[in-house]
Amino acid sequence: MSLFLIAALPFLGAVFPALLIRAGRNAAAGSTFAVTLLALIGLLLHAPAVLRGETVSARLDWLPTLGLNANFQLDGLGLLFAGLILGIGLLIIAYARFYLAREDPMGQFYCFLLLFQGAMVGIVLSDNILLLLVFWELTSLSSFLLIGYWKHLPEGRQGARMALAVTASGGLAMIAGMLILGNIVGSYDLSEILQHRDLIQASPLYAPALILILLGCFTKSAQFPFHFWLPHAMAAPTPVSAYLHSATMVKAGLFLMARMWPVLSGTDLWFYIVGSVGLITMILGAVIALFKDDLKALLAFSTVSHLGLITMLLGFGTKVAAVGAVFHIINHATFKAALFMNAGIVDHGVHTRDIKQLGGLRHLMPVTFTLATIAALSMAGIPPFNGFLSKEMMLEEATHAVWAGVPWLVPALAVFGALFSVAYSLRYIVHVFLGKTRHDYPTKPHDPTPGLWLPPAVLVALVVLIGLFPNVIATPIVSAAALAVTGTPVEFHPALWHGLTPALYLSVVAVLGGALLLAAHHGALGIWNNLPRPEAKVIFDAIIRATTAATRRITDTLHDGSLTRYAAIFLVFTLAISYYAFASGVLGPQTHTSLPISVMPVLGWVCLVGSALCVVAFHRNRLLALVLIGVSGLIVSLTFNYLSAPDLALTQISVEVVTIILLLLALNFMPQQTPRESTPARRTRDVVISITAGLGVGGLIYALMTRDFAMPSISEYHVANSYKGGGGTNVVNVILVDFRGFDTFGEIIVLGIAAIIIFAITEAVLGSGVRARLLNRKPSYPLAGDPHPLMMVVATRVMMPIALMVAAYIFFRGHNMPGGGFIAGLIAAIAVVMQYMASGFSWATDRQRLPYHGIIGTGVLVAAITGMGAWFNGKPFLTSAFGYVHLPYLEKFELATAALFDLGVFLAVLGAVLLALQSLARYAWQPGIVSEHPMDINPERDDASETIEGH
Amino acid sequence: MNHWIIAPIVLPAVVAPFIIMVMRFHRDLQRVFSVASVVALNIIALVLLTSAMDGTISVYELGNWPAPFGIILVLDRLSAMMVMLTTVLALAVVLYAIGSGWDTRGRHFHALFQFQLMGVLGAFLTGDAFNLFVFFEVLLIASYGLMIHGGGTTRLRAGVQYVVYNLLGSSLFLIALGTLYSVTGTLNMADLAVRVAELPVEDTALLRVGAVLLLLVFAIKAAVLPLHFWLPASYANAPMPVAALFAIMSKVGAYAILRMYTLVFGPGVAITDGLVGTWLLPAALLTLAVGSFGILGSRNLARLVAFGAITSMGTLLIAISLFTPQATAAALYYAIHSTFTAALLFLIADLVLERRGGALVPTPPMAQSGLIATLFFVGAIAMAGMPPLSGFVGKLLVMDAARASAHVWAIWAVILTTSLITILGLSRAGSILFWKPHDASMAPFPRPEDEEDAADKDPLLAPEPVPGLAFVPVFALIAALVALTVLAGPVMRYTEATAAQLFAPSDYIETVLQRPGS
Amino acid sequence: MEILLASAVGILTACGIYLILRQRTFPVIIGLSLLSYAVNLFLFATGRLALNQPPILNKYADVSYTDPLPQALVLTAIVISFGMTAVVVMIALSSYLSARDDGINMTDKGGEDA
Repeated sequence: MSLFLIAALPFLGAVFPALLIRAGRNAAAGSTFAVTLLALIGLLLHAPAVLRGETVSARLDWLPTLGLNANFQLDGLGLLFAGLILGIGLLIIAYARFYLAREDPMGQFYCFLLLFQGAMVGIVLSDNILLLLVFWELTSLSSFLLIGYWKHLPEGRQGARMALAVTASGGLAMIAGMLILGNIVGSYDLSEILQHRDLIQASPLYAPALILILLGCFTKSAQFPFHFWLPHAMAAPTPVSAYLHSATMVKAGLFLMARMWPVLSGTDLWFYIVGSVGLITMILGAVIALFKDDLKALLAFSTVSHLGLITMLLGFGTKVAAVGAVFHIINHATFKAALFMNAGIVDHGVHTRDIKQLGGLRHLMPVTFTLATIAALSMAGIPPFNGFLSKEMMLEEATHAVWAGVPWLVPALAVFGALFSVAYSLRYIVHVFLGKTRHDYPTKPHDPTPGLWLPPAVLVALVVLIGLFPNVIATPIVSAAALAVTGTPVEFHPALWHGLTPALYLSVVAVLGGALLLAAHHGALGIWNNLPRPEAKVIFDAIIRATTAATRRITDTLHDGSLTRYAAIFLVFTLAISYYAFASGVLGPQTHTSLPISVMPVLGWVCLVGSALCVVAFHRNRLLALVLIGVSGLIVSLTFNYLSAPDLALTQISVEVVTIILLLLALNFMPQQTPRESTPARRTRDVVISITAGLGVGGLIYALMTRDFAMPSISEYHVANSYKGGGGTNVVNVILVDFRGFDTFGEIIVLGIAAIIIFAITEAVLGSGVRARLLNRKPSYPLAGDPHPLMMVVATRVMMPIALMVAAYIFFRGHNMPGGGFIAGLIAAIAVVMQYMASGFSWATDRQRLPYHGIIGTGVLVAAITGMGAWFNGKPFLTSAFGYVHLPYLEKFELATAALFDLGVFLAVLGAVLLALQSLARYAWQPGIVSEHPMDINPERDDASETIEGH
Repeated sequence: MNHWIIAPIVLPAVVAPFIIMVMRFHRDLQRVFSVASVVALNIIALVLLTSAMDGTISVYELGNWPAPFGIILVLDRLSAMMVMLTTVLALAVVLYAIGSGWDTRGRHFHALFQFQLMGVLGAFLTGDAFNLFVFFEVLLIASYGLMIHGGGTTRLRAGVQYVVYNLLGSSLFLIALGTLYSVTGTLNMADLAVRVAELPVEDTALLRVGAVLLLLVFAIKAAVLPLHFWLPASYANAPMPVAALFAIMSKVGAYAILRMYTLVFGPGVAITDGLVGTWLLPAALLTLAVGSFGILGSRNLARLVAFGAITSMGTLLIAISLFTPQATAAALYYAIHSTFTAALLFLIADLVLERRGGALVPTPPMAQSGLIATLFFVGAIAMAGMPPLSGFVGKLLVMDAARASAHVWAIWAVILTTSLITILGLSRAGSILFWKPHDASMAPFPRPEDEEDAADKDPLLAPEPVPGLAFVPVFALIAALVALTVLAGPVMRYTEATAAQLFAPSDYIETVLQRPGS
Repeated sequence: MEILLASAVGILTACGIYLILRQRTFPVIIGLSLLSYAVNLFLFATGRLALNQPPILNKYADVSYTDPLPQALVLTAIVISFGMTAVVVMIALSSYLSARDDGINMTDKGGEDA
C-alpha cells in the first residue's frame, strides 16, 4: 500500500466515527478499528522489505519553491514507530470502547484519536522536515483536543492548554531550527540532510540549530525542565493517557532525536545537553513517581523517568547506546501502555485511583493483579521480562559514560534512578494489590469484562515473550531500526544472562535498594513532604497569568479609545517622518519668480487669518464659530477668484453656503457651548503640534510654489486640446467632464453615497429609542414669533424660478465659461432649501413630487450611461462626442455628450444635497406643527408659538 | 479595446443606484440583484485573471485620452489577482449578510456594499495617482456607511472616530499628491515613474517628502503601527460581516504600497533611497507584536479578531518591507490567506455574538455550540498559522524569504514569539467560549452583550435571516483556505510571476506610455 | 504673494489641527473644515499662482493661462470633502443623540468592548 495512503488513512477515516456515531457506539468504534487495522496491514506489507534493510519511499511535489514537499519514506525506525502507533492504537481503540461512559461523546473521541494517530504516523513517515513540522504541530493540536476531551473538568481544560502551550512553543522553536538546518544543507529532505553530517557539524549555525530542534524534542518528550505538562495531561480519559504517554506523543521527541542522531549526535554539545537532560529527567521523574498517590500520576512520572532514560542513551552518542534506546522504546511502550490501561481498570472497578484507598485487591481482581504484576516487574527491570534487558543495556552503557572527566558520576546517578524506579514499580504492586483486603473501597472491586483486560493482556504477553525470546521477536525490528538510526548494521543479541557484568551488579544493587526503599516508604514520604520543591504548575500558571495581564495592560493603555491621542500620535509621527525625508534630501534653489504683493491680497490675508484665529479663540461658542468659519470660506473663494480660478470661487462659495446650513441645522440639536476640558498642559501640547504642522505644510507649499515644474506639466496638453479635443473653452470644466471625467464620476458617487448614508443613519436613529426624546425635546432657542415671515415666504417663492434659471444658465455655459453641473446643482438645491426654510418642512414636502433617492440614482445612472454610450461606437468609457448645431435665430451652439454627463452631475448633486438636508430636517419634525398656512400672518393664529420650522 | 477592464467598476456603479431608485422597498429584489452582481463580478474577475495570467499588461484609456493626459486603468498580474480576491470575498460576505439577516438591520446595505466594491476594485485597477485618491474616497465613504450600518450607540461613536481619523488621512493624501504633482507635473503612475527617475539629484527634498507622505497614507489603510489606532474599535464595533469585507480594505493599503514602491519609488530609485526600509520593517514588526498582544489581552471576541487582522497585516508588511521578489511572492500568498482568514473569523465571531454576545466570560452553552466550536477551532488554526492550513505555509514562506534580510533573526524571533502568544490567546478564548460553558459549576448568566444597543436596533427593520445560509459562506471560506494550502504550488507560481512583473516595471511603463492615443 | 498664501495655508492648518485635537465632536468638525480649506488652497497652489489668467480659452487673443489641472483637482476635492463633512456631521449628531454625549473619545471600556 502506498505510503501516501497509509499516512492519509487515519485522516480520511476520522470522518467515519464522527458520522457513524449516529449508528451507535459499536459502529463508531468498529469503523475506527477497521481504519487503523487497514493502515497497519498496509504498513506490514512493507515490513519484509524494510527488515531486509531497504527503504520504501513515496514523493510528491507540493511547494517546490519552498522545498516543502509531500515526501514520505519508510525505514526501520519508521516501521518500528508506525507499528507501535498503529498496533497499540488498535488496542487502545478496543479498550476505549468499553472504558468510555455512556454520556461521553464517543464519535468525537474516535475522530480526535484518528486525527492524532494520523499526525503521529505522518511524523514517523515524513522524509521532509518541513512536512514533519506540519505533522509535528498537528500532534500538538489533536492532543489538545484529546486532553481537553472532558471539557466539563477544569483540570482537563487547563491540562490541555498547558500541553498545547508547552509543546506548541517547542514546535515553534523547532521551525526555526529546521529552517536553519535546511539552510545549511540546502535541502529540506531528510534523506538529503542525513548525508551531510560533517557539513552540518562544521557550520557555525550548528549550535543554534541543535538547541532549537532539541527544544522541540524536549518539550514534546517532557524532558526536564519541560516535564511538568505531562502529569497534568493525565486529566484526559485513561485510554488517551495510555496512548499519548506510552507509545506516541511523548515518543515523538525521542523519534526525532533518533532520526537526527546520525547528523546531530557525536559532539560534546550533544552529549552534554542531551545526556545530562536525560539523566536529570530520569532521576527526577523516578523520585517524584515514588511519592505520588494517584496511580496515573505515578505512571506519568515514571513515564517522564523512562523518557529521560532513553534520551540519556541517545545522548551518549555511542551506537550501542542508541540501539539500547531503540530497544527500550519498544519495551517501555509495551509495559507502560499495559500499566496505564491497568490503572484505568482499577479506576473503573474501585472508582478511585488513590493508592491510599487501595490495597489488597489481588483476591478481588486476580486478572488485573496478574497483568499489573508482570508489567510492573518489567518496568522495575526484573528478569525475565523485557524491561530487564534494556535496563541492563542502559546500565552497561552508563558505566562507559564519562561526564566531564568524572567516570563514576553517570553510573552512580543511573543506579540511583534505577533504584527509585524499582521502588515505585514495586509500590504499584504492593500498595495496590498486596496487603490485606479492605472494606472501605468506594465500590465493590471486581475484575472487568474481557473488553477491558484483553488489550493490556496482549501487551503483557509481549512483555513476557520479548523477555524470554528477544532474538526471535525483537532483534529483527530493533536491528532494522538501529540500522536506520546509526546508519550502519549493528550486532544486537540481547540475552537474559551474559555473565557477571558490572551492569548486573548495578542491577542487583538497584533492585535490593529499591525494595528497601519501598519498605521505608513511609519514612521517606515524611522527608519528601518536608522538602521544599517548586510546583511547576503554579509557576507556569503564574507566568501565563502575568503574560495575559501584561498584554491586556499594554493593549488597553495603547488603545484607550481616545481619538484625540490617536490623532496626536498620527500627527507627530507624520511630521517626524516627513521631516526626516526632507532633511535627508537636497533642496534646490528657488527658480520661480514670486508675484508682487498688492493691497487687496494683504487685506484678504488679514481677514482669512483673523477669522481662522478667531474660530480657534471663540470655538467654545459654537454658533459664533460657525459664523466665523463662514467668513474664512468666503475669503478662500475670493482668493480663488483673485488667483484666476473662477470655477473654484463659484464652487467654494456655493458649497460654503450649503455646508453652513447643514452645520446650523445640526447645531440646533447639539449643545451650544463647548465646555473647557483639556488641561493647560494638554493645550500647550496641542498648540505645539498644530504650529509645527502649520509650519510644515506652509513651508512645504511655499517651497513648492517658488520652484518651477522639473518637467513640463501634463496640463499643457489639456490647454492645447481642450477646444479641439474636448469642445469646450473652459479648460477646467473640460478636464472635469472629459479629460478626467472618471474622477468626476467617482466624485458624484461619493456625494450619492454620502446622501444615502445620511438617510440610513436618520432611519436607524429615528427607529430607535432616540425618536421619543426628539419628539418632546425643547428647542434650545426661543422660537421666532412668526416662523414664516411673509416677506421671506414671498421672496423665496419669487426667487425660486429665478434661481432655477440661474442654475440652468450656469449649467449650460459651464463647458465654455465658469460654471457647470456641480455648481448649478448646488444653486438649484439652495433654491429648494430656501422654500423649506421659509415655508416650512411640511409645506415643502407636500409639494415635493420626485423622491430624492430617485434624483440621485438618475444622476449617477445618467452619468454612467453617458459614459457607456461610447462603447457603442467602439470607444472606451466616457469618450465624449460633440457637434455644433445651427438653429434659426440662434447663435450656433454645441451639443456634447459631456453636457449629458454634466447633467448627471447636476442631478446627483441636487438630489444628494436635498436628501441630506431633508433627512436632517426629519429630526426636527414634531407632531402638531404642520403649518397649513405658511402665508397666513394672522397674529391670533393658534399654532404660531408651537411651530419650530425654519429657524 | 478590451472593455472587460472597466466592467468591475461600472457594474456595481450601475447596480447600486438601480437598487436605490427602483427597489428601495423590496428587500428580496435587492438581495437578488446584489448577489447577481457579485456573481457577475466573479465571472468578470475570472476573465481578467485569465487574460493577465500570461503576463500581458492591458491598458484602458478612459475618455480615449492617451496616458498620461487622461485617466487609465491598468490590468496586470497583481491587479487581476487582487480583483479576483475581492470578488470571491465579496460573494462570501454578501451571502452571509443575507443569511444572517444583517442586510436588513439598516437601510441601503446592498447599495453601500456595491459602492464599496466599486471603490476597492477601482483602487486596484487605476493607473492614475489622483484617481486612486478618488477611489480611496469612494471605498472609504461607503465603508463609513457600512460600518455604522444598523446604528446603535457604541457603533455610532466608534463610527465618528473612524471617519475623523480617515479624514485626516485623506487630507494627507491630497497634500502628498499635490507635492508630487508640483514637482513632477504629472499624475499618471507610469509617467511619475519615468519623471522621478529623471529628476535632478540636486533637488530631491520635496519629492522625498511627497513620497513618504504617500507611504504614510497607505500605511494608515494597512494599519501599520503607529497609524493602526483606527482599526480595533472600528472593526470590533462594525457589523461583523462588514468587518469581514473590511479584510480586503486593509489589503488596499498594502497593495498601494507594493504598487507605488515597486513602480514609482522602486528599490532602484536613488532619489527616494532609504525612505521605506528605514522604518517600515520595524513598524511592521511592532504591528505584529502589538496585534498578538491584543489577541491575548482582549476581553471581547470581536476585538480579539480585530487584533488578529492587525497581526496578519503585520506579517504581510514584514514581507512587503523586504522588497525582494521572493519576499513579495510570499507576501502575495500571505495576503490571500490573511484576507480569507480574517473574514472567516469575523463571520464565526458573528455566529457567536448572535448567540451569546462577544464578552469573553463564561456563559451557558449556546445553540449549535459544537458546530461553531469546530469552525472556531479551524479558524483559529488558520489565524495562528498552525498546520495544516495555509497560514503555516504562508508563515514558512515569509520566514524563508526573510533569510536574505540582515534582520533575519529579529524577524524570525518576532514571528515565532507572536505565533505563540496568538496560540495562547486563541486557546484561551476558545476554552472560555466553548469548554467552560459545559462546566457543571456553570450558573446561568445574563447576556453580556450591552442591552441598550439591542434596544437601539430599529424595531421596524426586523432582521430576516435565511436559516442555514449563514453557514454556507463560512464553510466556503474554509474550503478556500484548504484549496490555498493544497494548491500552494500553483498559487506560488502565479505570485512569483507577479513579483517578477512588479520588480521589472519597465514593461508596465512602456505599455502605458508607448500606446498611441487614437 | 506666495508668502502670503503659504502663511495663510500654514495658519489655517494650525488652527484646523488645534481644533481637531479638541475632545468634542463639533469643534473637531469645524477643525476638519478649516483643514480642508488649507488643503484645497495647498492643492490649488501646486499649479503656481497667476493673476488674471483664468484657464478660459480666448479665441481672439493669444494669452497665457494658469495651470488648469490643479483647479480641476481642487474642485473634485472640494466636492468630496463636502460629502465627507455632511456624513461626519450626521454621524456625530446621531451619536450625540443616542449617547447624549458629544465627547469624541470612548474612554469607557464597556463602550469599546461592545
